[in-house]
Amino acid sequence: MNQAEIRNFSIIAHIDHGKSTLADRLIERTGTLSAREMAPQVLDSMELERERGITIKAQAVRLDYEHEGKVYELNLIDTPGHVDFTYEVSRALEACEGALLVVDAAQGVEAQTLANLYLALEHDLTVIPVINKIDLPNANPEKVQEELMDIGLDGTEAILVSAKLGIGIEETLAQVVSRIPPPKGQVEAVLRALIFDSRFDSYKGVLVYIRVVDGSLRVGDQILFMATGASFEVTEIGVFRPHPTAVSTLSTGEVGFFAASIKTVQDTHVGDTVTLASRPAQEPLPGYRPAQSMVFSGLYPVDSSDYGRLREALERLRLNDASLSFEPETSAALGFGFRAGFLGLLHLDVVQERLEREYNLSLITTAPNVVYQVRLVNGEEIRVDNPALMPPAGEIQEIQEPMVNASIITPSEYIGAVMELAQERRGIYKDLSYIDKQRALLNYLLPLGEIMFDFFDQLKSRTRGYASFDYQWSGNMPADLVRLDILINGEVVDAFSMIVHRDKAYHRGRSLVEKLRELIPRQLFEVPLQAAIGGRVIARETVKAMRKDVLAKCYGGDITRKRKLLEKQKEGKKRMKSVGSVEIPQEAFMAILRVSDK
Amino acid sequence: MISSPLSDWGIYIHIPFCRSRCTYCDFNTVTGMGEDDYARYVEALLLQWDRISKMPSGHVVSIFFGGGTPSLLEPEYFKQILGAVKDKLRISLEGVEVTMEANPGTIDEKRLREYRRAGVNRLSLGVQAWQDHHLRRINRTHTVLDARQGVEAARLAGFDNINLDLIYGLPQQTLAEWEESLTGVLGLEVDHLSLYQLQIEEGTPLAGQLQRGRLRVPEDDVSADMAELGRKRLIQAGFIPYEISNYCRPHKHSRHNRLYWTLNPYLALGAGAHGYWNARRWWSIRGVKQYVDNLQNGGDGIAGEERLDRLEEMREYIWLGLREEGGFSRRRFQDRFSVSPEGSFGVTLGKLGRQGLVERRSDYILLSRRGREMANYVFREFVTAS
Repeated sequence: MNQAEIRNFSIIAHIDHGKSTLADRLIERTGTLSAREMAPQVLDSMELERERGITIKAQAVRLDYEHEGKVYELNLIDTPGHVDFTYEVSRALEACEGALLVVDAAQGVEAQTLANLYLALEHDLTVIPVINKIDLPNANPEKVQEELMDIGLDGTEAILVSAKLGIGIEETLAQVVSRIPPPKGQVEAVLRALIFDSRFDSYKGVLVYIRVVDGSLRVGDQILFMATGASFEVTEIGVFRPHPTAVSTLSTGEVGFFAASIKTVQDTHVGDTVTLASRPAQEPLPGYRPAQSMVFSGLYPVDSSDYGRLREALERLRLNDASLSFEPETSAALGFGFRAGFLGLLHLDVVQERLEREYNLSLITTAPNVVYQVRLVNGEEIRVDNPALMPPAGEIQEIQEPMVNASIITPSEYIGAVMELAQERRGIYKDLSYIDKQRALLNYLLPLGEIMFDFFDQLKSRTRGYASFDYQWSGNMPADLVRLDILINGEVVDAFSMIVHRDKAYHRGRSLVEKLRELIPRQLFEVPLQAAIGGRVIARETVKAMRKDVLAKCYGGDITRKRKLLEKQKEGKKRMKSVGSVEIPQEAFMAILRVSDK
Repeated sequence: MISSPLSDWGIYIHIPFCRSRCTYCDFNTVTGMGEDDYARYVEALLLQWDRISKMPSGHVVSIFFGGGTPSLLEPEYFKQILGAVKDKLRISLEGVEVTMEANPGTIDEKRLREYRRAGVNRLSLGVQAWQDHHLRRINRTHTVLDARQGVEAARLAGFDNINLDLIYGLPQQTLAEWEESLTGVLGLEVDHLSLYQLQIEEGTPLAGQLQRGRLRVPEDDVSADMAELGRKRLIQAGFIPYEISNYCRPHKHSRHNRLYWTLNPYLALGAGAHGYWNARRWWSIRGVKQYVDNLQNGGDGIAGEERLDRLEEMREYIWLGLREEGGFSRRRFQDRFSVSPEGSFGVTLGKLGRQGLVERRSDYILLSRRGREMANYVFREFVTAS
């Protein structure tokens, strides 16, 4: 393909602004799929993606589009929209020259719209604003145009679209060709291709999604991954239409995939550069960094005999998810399990749900925590990804916690409420600006650990659902943090340990033991519950001993029934975890998530 | 402790008919049937008895008519049934405990005399509470006065072995009312008392009323107080606590129930009745109509059975045996299973001992005081999770 006739672009949008529907229409209009083959959200193949209306894996689909007598090759790269996948998104955008920024005609600019726009501008993309859902009764395209002006885009040039009704689709395609520049890159140079995603195929091994920046790739080439140094022979090259379709070559500027009998996605790092083993490039493409887990959680099977199945399931998920990390962990309370690292909360949520749904596992998940950077008195620096492993206070010089830059867009009347929430969560105020007469944009520096629990829910409830929220990682900051332990019957239960700010420790400890007193059933013996910092107990409650547990009459000698009742009770007990001699129901381990500071 | 010989056995006969259904009841009972239905049912019972081909070899020591409300059936039917039992086994009923459950509202002296004459020698009356408002709330069809008159009539009719059932933990019941009930039944000077905690069974009207918040059962601590008070008052009045929920005057323990706790055989007659013999448990068809049809069409009335393996029998032997105040005999266990209880369950028994729940007294293993309160906890150690 002539480089001048290639256009690589992506669609970026706030959630539910209609990104997937627009993609569906583009695929349909270009005849890439027949009407019969179309399904809503055709690019999101995972059940979970369709159900939640989110994109987890990137996709690249090739569309042939005839415009003014020439056939153009349009590569639409669909990216995950969530902050957890910011790095993945940045690599996908790096593979493009332009982006369609979709904004809902009724909702207007939202927090994620902004975050995506900034990301696109960072990558020097040509941004074409698209105002979608103009068919809605409460659509207000003119107001959205003004909002676009306010964020530095030419709102008058926005395309008015109803993806649902198929309005403005032709114009969108035409503008992709006319406004987005063709890819640059040296046809004659040595191969350099950017990996922007990969997925595991049980027949072909890993499919590596690439954008060829310089040179070209052919079947039979011996390739080299520049970051890992691994080398493979290319067995197949293809493009997605959106079904995988074999081609013989991918040349400069083109987007597609290759297979090379690669067994795991761990060998293919997003952001890495592919070159030829025989004639390697001098310099890799810029911007590579290994995936880094931001959020950690312990995953334990409810039934300890499921440990093996959990390991297998995690291994299978990792085949397709290079950013999922896990290692075996033992908890005195929960037995054998894994400490798993995730890119963020959505990632954790998705993995957890897939384990339960696709692998039919019943899990106890410990409260997620962030990674703390700890400097010890002896000068040593350690990373702590499990609160239970935080060293004693006396050995610690300083603890640093990860921070995020949060942008919150809210109707003006809720500014006070949002500021109050941010302050409760130890937010550091950055600035406040107005998007238009009704809406304001607030920026806060917030500890990641403080937005992990119910921040988003709180934000929504305090702004009657109107506020939107997005954030970017923003390094570490020191904080006065302590480890809060929960002791049951005098023993520290590791799965309950958490790192909290000193000022909040008392309240958190008190409300947690109160909650646990409700959740832990009365036992044979009285059970003291304590919250402690270091060796100091800050709150105490008691679960009284059970006084009586007796079965009544055996009517008509029906012993079987009585035995079944006992068996059922015993089964119920089995689902509890024993700590020492105390039986703790599963819900108790999740309670920690629902306890607020107030 | 008195032990029944391994060869003693009993017969349980289920009479499922009731005038109305108590709100807590989920047993196999039916209402709205009449004399014709009773006649057909008794006919079916007799057919089922006829078709039992093998009998345990030892002595029948108990025949128990449970319900339902057996006292709805005319005394004549009892004569027929007991007559058939005597004929087939070629025994007299001399020395056999023949119990009949009765609703206090259904009996008078004349009728009771006829039951007595038919061979019934032990009467079990469901008194349940000593306040009419409680009886009404749980849809009992009798009053406190009926209960008093019933006991009096039974004495006059010649019954010298009378049991009364009482329930604690009734909705809205107070500790004071429970004490009043205890005083009330103790004043009747009967021979045997059963104190049961109300069980809330799924699907009963009572469960619905509780769920909708219309009624409330006493807090756990209050029903624990009730249990304690009951035991204390009965012992003070000279009753012997011989089983988890049963108390008797000297020599008046129920032989029938004890067959259950010692894993002795009992045959079963009637819809939904359960039998046990030779490691086999079986049960009859539950529906009255289906039961009758089956027998009239030449069937044996049986709906299902389970076989207990040796380990399961040992387990049941222990947790059923522990229901008795004196526990179970290690020697008897050894005779039956050729292994000592400690030989099979040493770890569990050891743990329960350390927790202060079971004790050993010479040949017997029994629940401690705390073990009695936490009996279910102990029993669960001897079942496998379902």
